[in-house]
Amino acid sequence: MTDVSSHGITARLPRGWDARIAKRPDPAAEPGAPAGPSTQAVPDEGISTRSAPADEPPGLLAGTEHPVAHLANFPLPPVRGDYGSGAVELMRTADIFVALVEFEPEAASTPLFSHRGIPRFGVNDFSPHTMQRTIAGMCGAQAFFNHNGRAFCLYVVLGSHALRAPLVAQVNALLAGLEIEPR
Amino acid sequence: MTAAIVALGVVVGLLGVLVVGLLRSHADVLRALHDLGIGEDDLAAAGSAEGRRSIGRRTTRTTGEVRMVPGVAAPGDSSSLGRLVDVSGVDPHGGAVHVGIDGSRGMTLLAFLSAGCSTCRDFWRAFGTDEVEQVPGRDTRVVVVTRGPEEESPSEVAALASDRVTTVMSSAAWDDYDVPVSPYFLLIDGSRGVVGEGAGGSWAQVVDLLRKAAADAGLVLDDEGGRPRFTRRDLLVGRDRELRADRELAAAGIEPGSPELYAPLHAVPPGDGPDGEVGAR
Repeated sequence: MTDVSSHGITARLPRGWDARIAKRPDPAAEPGAPAGPSTQAVPDEGISTRSAPADEPPGLLAGTEHPVAHLANFPLPPVRGDYGSGAVELMRTADIFVALVEFEPEAASTPLFSHRGIPRFGVNDFSPHTMQRTIAGMCGAQAFFNHNGRAFCLYVVLGSHALRAPLVAQVNALLAGLEIEPR
Repeated sequence: MTAAIVALGVVVGLLGVLVVGLLRSHADVLRALHDLGIGEDDLAAAGSAEGRRSIGRRTTRTTGEVRMVPGVAAPGDSSSLGRLVDVSGVDPHGGAVHVGIDGSRGMTLLAFLSAGCSTCRDFWRAFGTDEVEQVPGRDTRVVVVTRGPEEESPSEVAALASDRVTTVMSSAAWDDYDVPVSPYFLLIDGSRGVVGEGAGGSWAQVVDLLRKAAADAGLVLDDEGGRPRFTRRDLLVGRDRELRADRELAAAGIEPGSPELYAPLHAVPPGDGPDGEVGAR
């Protein structure tokens, strides 16, 4: 196990996992943030919605200016969208990709982020239709929550929908080691 | 009768002590040879008949080593071969980066570079172009490792870093792998550790040396058939190295049965003799 920490987010990584926790530069300076999953679910109440065209190429400098954590049990490519575009296309059957995307603190008090604490997933939470862009055989799940006054979207992609049960267990074990400090 | 039995017992005991001493001595010799980098393959080669020549490169049974090129500093005494350590640090913008190497799939090329090193410029440049795709292996990733922000300027590294490769600033990684100079390269297999290390004057040289080191280590980096990247047989007989040799000979126009294969190594080509312009080589 290895601890990776930045911007008040600490992840305890199993062997062989990659992690990046970064706060991107001002997106206004680099327009064209990649689209997130189900962006229509995010309320338009002054909250970042990341509604760029779906064919927008992922850019390292694009996306939210808030911290984004990417955790994966496969080698992460250098360029990724906030929700893993550029990375999930490389996934194989046993691969897991986890994106933790922070929103403005004001969002923590909105209904969408009303779930308190870091969520866990069940096997039935994953669906091929939750993917940002559907990839045959794969599935995804997302959850919005608040923790210590901070608002997050947790987006998980599994390399195999059919074999998701053991992968979900790995995801939940990873989430159990996730720590988020107050701002 | 009793005296004879006792005497026999003493003799057997002394012989036992002698055998144990000989075994220990033998073990010491083997250990010394191992420390000198001489393995069973080398001994077998020395004792075998024709057809085998020294390649002038230090190898182990399952690992290779990138050769040094003229003008580039040699690695230190402590080799990193077999070492397997994850790389943790920060990116030039301050974000946390953890590159999981131990247990990861595929190969990782760690490129230890510095912002102020003149020899490193060609690598920074190449990593910002399609040339980086020349790295051997379909799933080989390139990770640039500079020293940490306390020793390197993050803004300088940010200006040089390309988004085609992952860049991590980590002095700990330099220490973990005993990196002696920059530029310096480590080719790492996620299950076997460092399989090749060394330096080169340009990216093209390093790519060529990496291919050779990987082949010598029994790694099939560019296999397209879904076959495992290396097999036990590859490791034992160096099949990929043989294929590479065949490819290079064919590219030079030397086919099976070509007369060049049977010419003396130091033969004088026609016209290059004492009466020629060039003379013997």
